[in-house]
Amino acid sequence: MIVDKQRQEAQPAFVLHTYPYRETSLVVEAFTLNSGRVPLLAKGAKRPKSALRGLLRAFQPLQLSWGGKSELRVLYKAEWQGGLPPLQGTSLICGFYLNELLMRLLHRNDPHEQLFVYYQDTLAALSTHEDYMPILRGFELRLLQELGYALTLDHDVTGKPINSPSDYCYEIGRGPVKLEENDCSQGLRLSGTTLLDMGRGDYSSAATRVQSKILMRYVLNHYLGDQPLHTRQLLKDLQQL
Amino acid sequence: MAYHLLQRDHEGAQRLASSLDYALQHIRHCEKCNNFTEEVVCELCRSHHRDAALLCVVEMPADLLMMEQAHCYKGMYFVLMGRLSPLDGIGPREIHLDRLLKRTQDGLVKEVVLATNFTVEGEATAHYIGELLHDKGLKITRIARGLPVGGELEHVDSGTLAQAVIERREM
Ligand SMILES: [Zn+2]
Repeated sequence: MIVDKQRQEAQPAFVLHTYPYRETSLVVEAFTLNSGRVPLLAKGAKRPKSALRGLLRAFQPLQLSWGGKSELRVLYKAEWQGGLPPLQGTSLICGFYLNELLMRLLHRNDPHEQLFVYYQDTLAALSTHEDYMPILRGFELRLLQELGYALTLDHDVTGKPINSPSDYCYEIGRGPVKLEENDCSQGLRLSGTTLLDMGRGDYSSAATRVQSKILMRYVLNHYLGDQPLHTRQLLKDLQQL
Repeated sequence: MAYHLLQRDHEGAQRLASSLDYALQHIRHCEKCNNFTEEVVCELCRSHHRDAALLCVVEMPADLLMMEQAHCYKGMYFVLMGRLSPLDGIGPREIHLDRLLKRTQDGLVKEVVLATNFTVEGEATAHYIGELLHDKGLKITRIARGLPVGGELEHVDSGTLAQAVIERREM
């Protein structure tokens, strides 16, 4: 559904990214509850005394009001909602990873209300939990589901339930194919246990952690195309430091 | 600005063009602090009146100037000439963190003061540098944030106030 370009008042929103526009303004890529991802022009937001300056921060719940007829609508009010502890350290880099995924995969002006709520919950989880890996996997699965590319984790392509000791070949667009004599040149090989664990959100097994990461990277790369995610490299660097 | 100068201020445009030309020919990065200079090692880095045990990391030359104006710091600097900005594709290589790492290993630096901005990118940069220098036998510190001196709660933005409450200290 594409929403119209009417004036919006006090929309729950997050800043995904900002970039400079002319001498003193910013373009804000916002993720909003009712309108999805929208680019907004924040006039004068780079001026030292601008009221918007300190507010237009990523990972903080805001209420934004905007209007205008052009493609780039004008942000005229931003209100701080608070309630989310700021992301710090590695969880902050994880936050950038979520934002890069949203910037790359969400179309503009395409609302995803449930994903918006899930994003907010994910930020809250990142700010309070040390083990961020299950949180990132959960978000990736939910994002793909919202985009209409949900992964099949409980049954194979013939409709049979996943059998945990068996191995499967995960084919994008189809799902898990049970591996018997066939090879896995069209997909990614992984265990039934991993699929079932991911379906339950259980990342306690070391094998599941490794295989789920490879699966999500494989699937996301398919939808992201050739350009790699910058934040993924940063997270990898940090693990090696 | 270019149009304005061309139309109204031909002489000014000429002066700007020659100073840009001069800058392009003579200005380079200091080998130690990475700031702009006309020499191999800048005057500040050559000074004997500064504390070589302290190294302050800032994003831009303007930040270094602000630190100097505040007369609160007598150590050395490293100017990143940017900050990590993953969504703009600016990573550790683009801001010369390899050179920063090397700079801290001169045997004199004991403490690295992270004075990157309190934007999400500045925070990410500080975290990354902290991890990079972890276990290198250095003390790593981050400048504190809070309300402006002389600031009144009534006039401060919500983000700053929220952060100051989160980082409140016992007295
Ligand atoms: Zn220097």
